[in-house]
Amino acid sequence: MGKTSKTVQINMDNQRLEVHRGLTILQAAESNGIYIPTLCAHQDLSPFGGCRMCIVEVEGMRGFPTACTTPVEEGMVIRTKTSQVQAERKEILQLILSEHTSSCLVCDEKVECKEFMGTIRKAGVTTGCRYCPNDDQCELQDVVDYLELDEIGYPVYYRGLRVEKEDPFYDRDYNLCILCGRCIRVCQEVRAANTLAFKQRGRFTVIGPAFDRTHMEAGCEFCGACVSVCPTGALSEKARKWEGKPDREQITTCALCGVGCQMRLLIKGEKIIGSLPAQDPVVNSGQLCVKGRFCVTELVNHHRRLRKPQRHQNGTEVELSWNEAIEAAAAELSVCAPKQFGMLISPNCSNEDLYIAQKFARVAMGSPNIDSSTRTFYGHGFSAYLDLFRQSAPLADLEKSSDILCVGLDARFGRSVVGVALRKAMKRGARIVTINPRPHNLALMADIWLKPILGAEAGLLRSLVKMTERKNSTSRTRAKGQGRGLTQDLLTVAEMLKNAHSPAILVGSEFLQHDKSWQIFELVGRLAQNVGARILPLPAQNNLLGSILMGTYPEILPGGFSSADEKKARQFKKSWSVNLAQFSTGWNASALSTGPRLKVLYLIGENLPGFDQLADFTIYQNIYSPDSPTVDALVLPSAAFTEADGTFINGEGRIQRVRKAVNPPGDALPDWEILCRIARKMGKKGFDFSSAGQIHREISRSVMNLGRFHRPKRKPVPLTWQGRVNVSRPKPSGKVKDGKQIPFLLHASSAEHVYRGFLLTAFVEGARQIFPQDMVDINPKDAQKKGISQGDAVVVSCERFQETWTANIVDEQPPRTLHVTLHQSASLGANPHRVKVKKKDV
Amino acid sequence: MKTYRSYCMVCAGTACVSNRSFHIKEALEREIEKQGLQDEIAVVTTGCNGFCAVGPLVVVHPEGIFYQQLREEDIPYVVEEHFLKGRPVKRLMYSPPGEQTPIPKMNDIGFFKQQRLIALRNRGLIDPERIDEYIARDGYFGLAKALKMKPREIIQEIKDSGLRGRGGAGFLTGLKWELTRKAKSNGGKFVLCNADEGDPGAFMDRSIVEADPHSVIEGLIIGAYAIGANQGYIYIRNEYPLALKRLIIALEQARNYGLLGKDILGSGFDFDIKIVRGAGAFVCGEETALMASVEGRLGEPRPRPPFPTEHGIWSKPTNNNNVETWANVPSIIRRGAQWYSQIGTETSKGTKVFSLVGKINNTGLVEVPMGITLREIIYDIGGGIPHEKAFKAVQTGGPSGGCIPAELLDLPVDYESLSEAGSMMGSGGMVVLDEDTCMVDIARYFLSFTQDESCGKCTPCREGTKMMLHLLKKITEGKGTEEDLETLEQLAHEVKETSLCGLGKTAPNPVLTTLRYFRDEYEAHIKEKRCPAHVCRQLNTYRIDPDACTACGLCRKECPEDAISGGKKQPHLIDQQKCVKCGICFDVCKFEAVCID
Repeated sequence: MGKTSKTVQINMDNQRLEVHRGLTILQAAESNGIYIPTLCAHQDLSPFGGCRMCIVEVEGMRGFPTACTTPVEEGMVIRTKTSQVQAERKEILQLILSEHTSSCLVCDEKVECKEFMGTIRKAGVTTGCRYCPNDDQCELQDVVDYLELDEIGYPVYYRGLRVEKEDPFYDRDYNLCILCGRCIRVCQEVRAANTLAFKQRGRFTVIGPAFDRTHMEAGCEFCGACVSVCPTGALSEKARKWEGKPDREQITTCALCGVGCQMRLLIKGEKIIGSLPAQDPVVNSGQLCVKGRFCVTELVNHHRRLRKPQRHQNGTEVELSWNEAIEAAAAELSVCAPKQFGMLISPNCSNEDLYIAQKFARVAMGSPNIDSSTRTFYGHGFSAYLDLFRQSAPLADLEKSSDILCVGLDARFGRSVVGVALRKAMKRGARIVTINPRPHNLALMADIWLKPILGAEAGLLRSLVKMTERKNSTSRTRAKGQGRGLTQDLLTVAEMLKNAHSPAILVGSEFLQHDKSWQIFELVGRLAQNVGARILPLPAQNNLLGSILMGTYPEILPGGFSSADEKKARQFKKSWSVNLAQFSTGWNASALSTGPRLKVLYLIGENLPGFDQLADFTIYQNIYSPDSPTVDALVLPSAAFTEADGTFINGEGRIQRVRKAVNPPGDALPDWEILCRIARKMGKKGFDFSSAGQIHREISRSVMNLGRFHRPKRKPVPLTWQGRVNVSRPKPSGKVKDGKQIPFLLHASSAEHVYRGFLLTAFVEGARQIFPQDMVDINPKDAQKKGISQGDAVVVSCERFQETWTANIVDEQPPRTLHVTLHQSASLGANPHRVKVKKKDV
Repeated sequence: MKTYRSYCMVCAGTACVSNRSFHIKEALEREIEKQGLQDEIAVVTTGCNGFCAVGPLVVVHPEGIFYQQLREEDIPYVVEEHFLKGRPVKRLMYSPPGEQTPIPKMNDIGFFKQQRLIALRNRGLIDPERIDEYIARDGYFGLAKALKMKPREIIQEIKDSGLRGRGGAGFLTGLKWELTRKAKSNGGKFVLCNADEGDPGAFMDRSIVEADPHSVIEGLIIGAYAIGANQGYIYIRNEYPLALKRLIIALEQARNYGLLGKDILGSGFDFDIKIVRGAGAFVCGEETALMASVEGRLGEPRPRPPFPTEHGIWSKPTNNNNVETWANVPSIIRRGAQWYSQIGTETSKGTKVFSLVGKINNTGLVEVPMGITLREIIYDIGGGIPHEKAFKAVQTGGPSGGCIPAELLDLPVDYESLSEAGSMMGSGGMVVLDEDTCMVDIARYFLSFTQDESCGKCTPCREGTKMMLHLLKKITEGKGTEEDLETLEQLAHEVKETSLCGLGKTAPNPVLTTLRYFRDEYEAHIKEKRCPAHVCRQLNTYRIDPDACTACGLCRKECPEDAISGGKKQPHLIDQQKCVKCGICFDVCKFEAVCID
């Protein structure tokens, strides 16, 4: 093969250009500042050649080739703006507009309209027609302006298609669609989700899921990639429909799960009007999941946001100034003995908040009583789960993995960014195995779905561990308690993992609340060691690792050191002048209701049911008002992650910046600032911070190096902390002795769509449609026996609780079992529950 | 093989089958057995003979007696007279229109006399469901010869023969093969047979597959060997059940004979063919859309380059030719490029199969040497226009082609001449139009077809064809303006120049050619609000000739608007105020009393 140079010489519009070989004419033009109008072309998508706007003249080529599909060749002479080309473009544009509502494009009043639209006078003034939510952001408008089209020579048809509003998050008005196919290509090529396709053909062509299913039914992940690439107003975000064009953007890290995607917040004035994925090659490669794409806006703009400090007392609420509030808090805290103080802080807070919070507890209050609700969320598997991070790998490793085992992972809504990476790995030829007792979105695409019998999940993993042990020949090992077909599958998987050159194990959320979760995670760890796999745990909370490394647990000091580590304790004594050695109480979050009653409970971003009953006095610091009126509490408004600076550590251990995009609503302040103010009021030293950056520097100086605050490198920190959280392992729940058959086995999972203790479903309308609320999954046969149909209210009861949930009949739910996802499943006690089920009497 | 005294070749092409030819065959067998002639007379079903207008057909060999328009009732008589008594039945033979004397022998009939058969050389002579009969007619000899040649030599032979793609565009087949052979691939190459014939009134490919499926298969194997492909596909529309059935049988037989599969004829060459059934989308005849459809994707074209010879099915180099092209290959290899290139014109070699339909006496399928004039096809082979009407135009190339007017009747049929005339060779549809045809209406008809079949991917085709149809409808309804005509012409050029694929690029051809040759008709519709051919009913004025009217009252009864008055023995009258010009009175009148002004 002869050497071909990497560039070619072309002549475009009488300019001699040297451009990379392999570029299309359009790319060559764009990189040299030559504008060619396009509608269907998009930088992230394959060339389509459908809209025909980008036609150009090329010497020696017949007709008008499209710039978006024709590669440049040596010596090519291209003319992009000849009068004939422009005339043809104008004709094509008219044809496009003959099926598009065009009053905003070719109206006689267009210019005046734009000028007067800002008026606030109500009568007698043109205020601008509002047919389309995409006004000012519409690519058709740009092309119409460029070609100076002022009338359409053809009759304009309105297709009269029904505006589709039934699916959550975005509306679809295909009357505005120009069939550029970008949404379909992004769904197929970029997301590999294949939800959208062209339906019908010719003049009847419409876009949507095949067979006229709704997006919900068709498995849409609601990632919003289609909405982002739509050049017209055909696809529009419900929450942002009429917000118009953003003034500015801010890049930040999403707080809604441990993946830690980079996102672009769209800001108009002092309001966040949207969130889009950032082009980030490290974590999310320009993708977001439904939570990041659609939930953030509604979450941070909700009317339940706290704006002013309040004093709640016996049902009355009094607004306070910050000075009054700080004084009240300091007064209560100053008289509180260390042992009578307790603090819980959400892992959704930034490292800086977490560090200050633990410092507040340990230094200002002199108390070891700091903990987080993650302890109850992860339950007795917490320690084993955290241990998985010690073998963790960056997400980008998925690109190289040959065999990927997914343990209890569902990547449809949350973690869909990982789902995309999995599908791309599959396309590349990687094999996917999924272990999950319940239906999930990987079930269809995985090579093998290992579906354990309920209660035998740990057994299945144990078999896999045994089969993959070097000394063991897999053929002799039998999987106990599993069906024969499953045994064969297990052998296949074991063989596959043993021979894999780069296996990876992804850990999702299915087993987090499992009754044998600690065993399951230990086994996952052993399996990884046996086959030399890296593990990618995908925690539900962004900054779970931050909470460990900042030491917001009684057992763990900042830096992840054990609080029993005397050497470290001495070091901290030196820098904070507090003796930590005395801190060895057995207090933690799970002892809140059972242990000795506290005098003051300080909740930061935490929302426990009936929290005001747990202590004499509560300081409730969060972004939303409490769910129920409180008896006696100080309610302090804090800033959401979009309103404060800081850093998060994602599931890979990567330190990522959270950037303030707008001011917090009302008087709300960042958590660290409130804490510092109270501490200063109490006369404590070491809280003189005026920015998150200063706190960051203190952490880096005295605890662990977090790198630069501004423009961080985002390299993962080594996840080798020494401290371990103490968890009590449940006693084996022996067999029922009285011989009576237990009617049903209920498993409760905790919802993951939680931010600072609140369910997203409470604040985001669309989330209610995608995250089931109090739905109890039941097998169809069981339902039939009990006379229960889909959507019926059912009463699930046992000695400890009686709950009413809605029945959801699921074919794959194993017989005689139930599954429910709750806000906090720990409130029912440890899984599984032996319960009775009946249809609720009307 | 057992030999018989006579062979009854029952035509079993789709047209004859729909005229009950299978029943004829059963009746023949029954009757022959009844007369005890089963050891003397064999009954064979063959593919289409081409003369569909006079089906169902039976040809008796070796004499070559041609029986036409048979009914089951005729069979006992035929068997008794012809096979028992040796007296061919004159009454069932073919007589040219207007003549009394029947022509007994097939080869003496004008329709057959001037044809030159290469692609259809086995039509009517073999049972397409029996590979032995194909082999007996030198079938697979071309393959055996090819497998001893070097691929390069085969390609050179095809290049030398001058064979050009019979699917429409006329690309040099040998050159395409060479490009595919030279294309680099990291995992195989493919050969593809496009049997997705979709032009209205065209049935060449269907007939070839029905009459001689092995010729296509043999062509594909030779092509695959020359190109270096080990997998072939035949993309055939599911609306061709008979062709599909015969293809499946033929593939199975070829496999059993070791002509497909591993180590074909001991040459070490492996090759097999899969059938992919299309759902009848016209656009899937476009090769990139076809390939997408083969892959199981949406049948939509994609821009070229890259060309399929480099980037075809599953991104691998793919050589696509249509049925007729592949069917020509075995004969070229067997008899040599020299022989083939003698037939035809300087630039268009060989023969071309046309389906002759419309206002013509001898509707059917013909294979003629390139360079023959339209007049020869229409008058000598086609037998002229029925009812002695005047010839007006011939539409070639289907919806992508154009109309060629009477003054160009002596145009030689080859790729270049047809293109120059504004039409195209296309896959070979020929729709003959007589003086009663409105050219605006013809353009409207083809446009309504293309806009229905447009895939909707690119703007000019999706919206442009719709808008052109809108304008044409307006004109045929008498609402057109001169401005509309201007817009129509401009739009037609626009769509032709800027569409993505061949469908859109050629869709305006019927409009452009009718505008070129029959502009006066458009103008009559617009300026005079008159349809010269009286086809566009909204422009007609219906009147009852009182002298011809017998006052039968039928038109009065059928008129949906009660616009016709008149009593017994009184000539009827149309109330022009009430008339909606539906033309029902004209259609129902048995005395030609309703006339159009």
